[in-house]
Amino acid sequence: MDSAERIEAASKFLLQSPPGEINDVLNDVRNIISDDDSLQAGVLPALREYNTTQFTTADVPGHQHQSIVSEAARISSSREDAGEEESLDRYWDPRSRTSFRFDHLSLETSDPEHVEPDEESEPFRAALETASLAYLQAHYHDGVVSVFPTQGSSSRFIIQIVANKYNPNNYWSGRWRSEYTIDTSAKTLEGKILVNVHYYEQGNVQLSTTHSVSLTLPPAITSSGGASSASKALALIEDEEGKYQTSLNDAYAEMSEKTFKGLRRALPMTRSKLDWDRVMGYKLGAELTNSKNAFGAA
Amino acid sequence: MGDLVDSMLDLMRRLPPTHVEENVASLVAMCPDYADDLLGSVDQPLKVMTDRATGKEYLACDYNRDGDSYRSPWSNEYDPPLEDGTVPSPKLRKLEIAANEVFDTYREMYYEGGVSSVFLWDLDDGGFAGVVLLKKVMTPQAPGEPSGAWDSIHVFEAAERGRQAHYKLTSTIMLQMVDRSISTRSSKDEPVKSKVGADKTEQNDAKRDGEATLSGSMTRQTEQDFQLQDQSSHITNTGKMIEEMEIKMRNLLQEVYFGKTRDVVFDLRSLDDLEKARRQRELQKELVGFIKR
Repeated sequence: MDSAERIEAASKFLLQSPPGEINDVLNDVRNIISDDDSLQAGVLPALREYNTTQFTTADVPGHQHQSIVSEAARISSSREDAGEEESLDRYWDPRSRTSFRFDHLSLETSDPEHVEPDEESEPFRAALETASLAYLQAHYHDGVVSVFPTQGSSSRFIIQIVANKYNPNNYWSGRWRSEYTIDTSAKTLEGKILVNVHYYEQGNVQLSTTHSVSLTLPPAITSSGGASSASKALALIEDEEGKYQTSLNDAYAEMSEKTFKGLRRALPMTRSKLDWDRVMGYKLGAELTNSKNAFGAA
Repeated sequence: MGDLVDSMLDLMRRLPPTHVEENVASLVAMCPDYADDLLGSVDQPLKVMTDRATGKEYLACDYNRDGDSYRSPWSNEYDPPLEDGTVPSPKLRKLEIAANEVFDTYREMYYEGGVSSVFLWDLDDGGFAGVVLLKKVMTPQAPGEPSGAWDSIHVFEAAERGRQAHYKLTSTIMLQMVDRSISTRSSKDEPVKSKVGADKTEQNDAKRDGEATLSGSMTRQTEQDFQLQDQSSHITNTGKMIEEMEIKMRNLLQEVYFGKTRDVVFDLRSLDDLEKARRQRELQKELVGFIKR
């Protein structure tokens, strides 16, 4: 394997990192590659992809809240002198109207700038944000939500939610991600929910789920509908996520009742453990030994 | 450089179990010098092979591999054929044949299907070691049906001490389950209707799709002494140990797969309205304060 292939393999490992364990995976990969210079430059695209697809959260400079670093949050820099890295790694938080540079390795933010939002879409975006924050409070123990406008459309918005729990001392971690694209002119709501759980005490057990939904918005939800339309939209999301969580619970029951039991019984049909001496004697007593005190009392 | 192997093993402990085969292959390609260390320490799903001589299925893993060939426990032949492939001593092969018969009964009793294989090999110090393999795969009969796979790998070492024998057992169980019923189930209460009715019931044309996968492996070790009456006692002794271990680990898997991972999901998102619960508590506090006054 040449150097480029090794970096490519390392990048694939990084992209598979369980919630909260990217640094552990990176340390392992550093040790395996043992070439820090080529690694650091080589894995940046993978780290960027990991952070943006996993909805990594960033502290917004100068503010007390966090925002999601994702493709929807990326800002294309208008500054002439901005280099490629600069334009790739600048994201914004519509809630505080702040853009910032994001370091995909250290996860630190810097260089805040004010962003003036699009006049036409901002009122409904802000209404969706308020409703989303209320929803987050109601159903997530420790989550972050960001609501983004989309370029070239004043009726299309993206709501992203992420909740993480990392508990390395007890060898588990978990992440819930959901994303909804709401289009008030096309009257559609497209969503996806992704859940990952890792349990790794003397083992490696992972839950990985995917769920996508697409539905038609009721006519009552419009961009000019303000707070009332926004809370109706979030009520749809609340209903969808509630239903999904309930059905995930049912899936657990089904896997436990059907699949698990079907793979291996807790005990044989006889409801007692195997009588090994008997099976042994019955099966091949004669064949294996030349009699004498062969198989005990059986 | 044990350090490097540690990093590779730590990595395998973190990356998704569903990709263990391709990830091990990548690591082997990256560090060919450590291929044997890695292949010997990372358990991978067992391959099902068919014995050319008997037509019976057996399991392939690192323990019955010689070069690119695998030995069948039924015919003792390598596939693809090997002139000088490693085989157990005649005395141990006799025990291996018996062990395969007995564990085949064990497999039928607990798995009601699947495949089992036992492989034994002589150790330099005069003792012997072995591996008991069990595998069962459930394939869905219909699109919404669940699927799953169970792989047991029990590696043991036996040391005879007069009329006693000491056994060391390392057991790994790999378990994977996929459920695709989520999409079908959640749309049951909302039958698909034509778009005309869209303004009356708002979600009647909802489309849903998705799946849930639980996958992974757990490893446990144990040591035990047993009486040794004759050579066949090795089979009943390891049999009892392995049966005990599988019962223990099945309970453990049940707890981790269906208990712990589910708890984490409900730790991330609450079905009940947390804000309502918070307000309820506040109200209760106020009431208590009011009564006390």
